[in-house]
Amino acid sequence: MTALLTIQGLDIRAGDKPLVSGLSLSIRPGERIGLIGESGSGKSMTAMAATGLLPTSIRVTGSIELDGQQVVGAPDKTMNRLRGAAAAVVFQEPLTALDPLMKIGRQIAEPVRRRLEREGGKVSKDAISREVRDLIDKVALPQPERIINSYPHEVSGGQRQRVAIAMALACRPKLLIADEPTTALDVTTQAEILKLLDQLVRETGMALLFISHDLPVVSQVVERVIVLKNGVAVEEGAVNTVFGNPQHVYTRSLVEAARLFDEALGATGS
Amino acid sequence: MSPIETSASTRERRHSLALTVGLALVALNLAVAVLTLFWTPYDPLNASGGRLEAPSLLHWLGTDRLGRDLLTQLMIGARTALLVGTGAVAIGAAIGVSLGILAAFATRLADDVMAATLDILIAFPTLLLAMLVVAASDSASLWTAILALGLAISAIVARLTRILAKRVLRLDYIVASRTSGTSWPGVVFRHVLPNIWPTLSVNFALQFGLAVIAEASLSYLGLGAPPPNASWGRLLQEAQGTVYTAPIGAIAPGIALVALVIGMNLLADGLRDIADPTHGRSR
Repeated sequence: MTALLTIQGLDIRAGDKPLVSGLSLSIRPGERIGLIGESGSGKSMTAMAATGLLPTSIRVTGSIELDGQQVVGAPDKTMNRLRGAAAAVVFQEPLTALDPLMKIGRQIAEPVRRRLEREGGKVSKDAISREVRDLIDKVALPQPERIINSYPHEVSGGQRQRVAIAMALACRPKLLIADEPTTALDVTTQAEILKLLDQLVRETGMALLFISHDLPVVSQVVERVIVLKNGVAVEEGAVNTVFGNPQHVYTRSLVEAARLFDEALGATGS
Repeated sequence: MSPIETSASTRERRHSLALTVGLALVALNLAVAVLTLFWTPYDPLNASGGRLEAPSLLHWLGTDRLGRDLLTQLMIGARTALLVGTGAVAIGAAIGVSLGILAAFATRLADDVMAATLDILIAFPTLLLAMLVVAASDSASLWTAILALGLAISAIVARLTRILAKRVLRLDYIVASRTSGTSWPGVVFRHVLPNIWPTLSVNFALQFGLAVIAEASLSYLGLGAPPPNASWGRLLQEAQGTVYTAPIGAIAPGIALVALVIGMNLLADGLRDIADPTHGRSR
């Protein structure tokens, strides 16, 4: 099977400062991959580069093929067709990722309408609102009527992230890029959102690129991980191998840090 | 009721009062302006009484130097003021918002050039700019005054739009919307314009007030709407010589002018709260 996303020798530079160097990875349809590293290690940059949304001031070289289309240097028009259809993104901060002055129902309806147009199907108001209701059910949001007619500031953080996920799902992408989707949420909500993402990815058969600095979170949802440090991939492999038997010093320190944190948490908990 | 709720509801009441008063003043003006299209108490162009008559039951606000009914003049002045305000803001908004959005998307160099040009234009007094345009045109007419004020307003609107649009374009939800495949024009119409609208609309209302005052100033200087269009500015100018003998001639147009401008500003304030659902309320 051909890969959905193939990144080869990716270099991202801001001025003279290298942000990502020589990164290569590939994701097959339905595969779930984690990209982990500390903040500033180039994880989010890689995700933005994959959808061709880095600011023009940032230089990208190398090759990124998304669903058979070269992304590096592609004109905006080509990319617009690809975005949503090939890949959709869920961001870290669910409040700022939603338009504050647009009702939630309309925000979800936008990508739904675009997808229906793309698929050439019948685009009627009824069809769209039916889809919106379906999506709200899918991400398990309570009181769909109220949510549809609410503004983002009127619902809770966890609910906003569910809305963001619904918007990403509305595109029916082949690849879902989740950029630290649980970092801004409290622990209980984190677990719920993770469970939801995991279940949705399995149901729809989307591929998943999960970006996080949080090892326990990553290990719950992905099969394979790539560890980034200062923009360089230092270790790659199946989740259990990498976390169970880390080879690189940096991975070992990450695993150790997570273990110590868990222990400290356990000590205070008991 | 907690103290926070009390203050929030008080604020809400005060806002709705401002909106009501503003709406009433502007609506009154609009009603009078529309009425003059069909009916005025007297013929605005011909004498209907003695010269400089004091207010009476026949002439509520008295008559001017030529014996024309002042109330009639004042009512037609409302029409002129509304026309100038609406026209100037419409022209200013159309040019200003388009330029501002373009500048927000322009390359660094083009943006800098545009920003500098706008700053120079804004530094130039609106009235002087309007006088230049009127003087440069063959004949002074209401429309040259409207165009001149519209151009002056467009510079202010363009600069405001540019800054607001740039701020919105940097926000996460723009990137989020782009990742789901929204084109740049789609982003402008669905996200940028609705999000800058609350601030813009308030500015439009303020500019409306300024345009009404500027038109009065132009008319006062004899550069505004030529007769037979009555204008509050010209009424003020005509009343200048007789301000001690017949003060009502200066007071009435002055009050009318202030009432419309204040009404417009109050309306702007009230509109802002309606346009922005996140204002004053939080979860």
